[in-house]
Amino acid sequence: MLKGSRREAMGLALVTPSFLFLLVFFIVPAALLFVCSFWLAHSFRLIPAFSFDNYSRALSASGFYVLTWNALKNGLCTAAFTVALSFPTAYFIVYRTRGNLLFYLILVSWFSSYLVRIYAWRVILGSNGLINTTLMQLGLIDHPIEVLLFSPFATILTLIHIMLPFGLLLLVSALRDVRREYIEAARDLGASPFEVLTRVMLPMCYKGIIGAFMFTFVISAGDFVTPQLLGGREGMTTGILIANQFRSSGNWPFGAAMAFLLLAAFLLVYFVFVRLLHLLRLAPGRRFHD
Amino acid sequence: MLRIYVWLYVAFLYAPIAIITLFSFHSSPSLTFPFEGFSLRWYARIFTNTTFMDSLWNSILVGTATAATTTVLGSLTALGLARLKGRVQTLFGLLSFGPVALPGLFLGIALVMLFSQIGLARSLFTVTIAHVLFTLPFFLEAVRSRIEYFDLSLEEAARDLGATPAQAFRLVTLPIIGPTIGGAAILSFALSFDEFIITVFVSGNNTTLPLTIWSMMRRAVSPDINAASVLSLSLSIGIILLGGLLVWYQRRSALNARAKDIQE
Repeated sequence: MLKGSRREAMGLALVTPSFLFLLVFFIVPAALLFVCSFWLAHSFRLIPAFSFDNYSRALSASGFYVLTWNALKNGLCTAAFTVALSFPTAYFIVYRTRGNLLFYLILVSWFSSYLVRIYAWRVILGSNGLINTTLMQLGLIDHPIEVLLFSPFATILTLIHIMLPFGLLLLVSALRDVRREYIEAARDLGASPFEVLTRVMLPMCYKGIIGAFMFTFVISAGDFVTPQLLGGREGMTTGILIANQFRSSGNWPFGAAMAFLLLAAFLLVYFVFVRLLHLLRLAPGRRFHD
Repeated sequence: MLRIYVWLYVAFLYAPIAIITLFSFHSSPSLTFPFEGFSLRWYARIFTNTTFMDSLWNSILVGTATAATTTVLGSLTALGLARLKGRVQTLFGLLSFGPVALPGLFLGIALVMLFSQIGLARSLFTVTIAHVLFTLPFFLEAVRSRIEYFDLSLEEAARDLGATPAQAFRLVTLPIIGPTIGGAAILSFALSFDEFIITVFVSGNNTTLPLTIWSMMRRAVSPDINAASVLSLSLSIGIILLGGLLVWYQRRSALNARAKDIQE
């Protein structure tokens, strides 16, 4: 008993430095940002106030909805493709390979620098890029296909490329919890591969799927660098708008308000996604709560 | 079938990197085929570019400071979490995960707001603070499974046999969790080395490597960027491989030593 409480006290003492760090540099800044979203800016100076002007200004501009929809679209497409494309690979790694070499090979590509990968796709997709020049040399097209670069397509393709290793990491750790025996048992009992997937595997790694989907979604919908460099005019997103408010001489409170509106949209997507999994009966039923 | 798919998946991941690497050695400034021959001229140019070399040095500095701070904070936290149970542990776990559950943009603007309100000028110091915030969750996640299996009673046994807390830590705890912590420290360095989204908001006049590459990208497309990119990515991949080898080697020698003990 005594030993237990001494252990807990020691534990609390050990986590205190990190707690203070997170308090000062995470909780306080987030709270400050929220408070500031009600402030006003006058000729680049912040004026403390309690006003909903920033929120109503964003919500009454039709452009805000268009840009937010662009951001959500980037996020949803990237998350859906990342999860769908990584799932077979995760399955292969967990059930078909012994060593971890393939897994590590994929994870290493995660460290190949985010900006470098954006740049690489710009080289590949550009109108003087690899795809266009190769197609023209082969005589398949006369003029370069301009929409390859500076379009939402380029943004989403690049975001998928950036997110794949991270999505795979989350899916592999989720699938490691689904023991091989369950899959074999389902198969022995006559389940088709599709049934094994939808009625055994997906419900059992439900949390991992939500985690992988939401992480990829939040990171790519909130990303402003990829759409700015590759998205062109049509690919403009709320993220770029927010970033611009904070970089050049912008309106910080307005940027803060838009950031919280974007976060609210993310939360909405989360609830819809979870609801959807339940409706499609891909969520665990009452039988295996852990 | 599945095997072929998996290899296509890997090829998709590495193809753009391979293309950039190939063209960084191209003797002509053209970024298209036909490939005209190899040359190191772009590398020679980048190594004499003082902006590039300065920012490379800044990135190494920030990465080292970040890795050191995250390792101290993260190791203490991980050891603390192993001693805590129930609600406190869950709550703190959620809190420490927060910084990566939000988009980098959000952290960047929140931090720049804080720094401007408390009057802290933007510098490599503020960049390091931001990087610690960003790497801490990854550090904790990387060491979590190892710490969870760590048997606290080993430490307590050492204490009962008369070791001071410092001795118990140095002689019992550290040899067990050391390699994992080393690996996680290297992970923190690599993440800091590549971080761009938050850094763009919190950096001052001294820039880091990704910021330099970013400003090169915004100017005209020059083949210098290829060489700069390849240097940057081979450094971060090299660091990660080194970390992986280190952890693997230490695990293997620990297993071998144990096997020898059992035989004797």
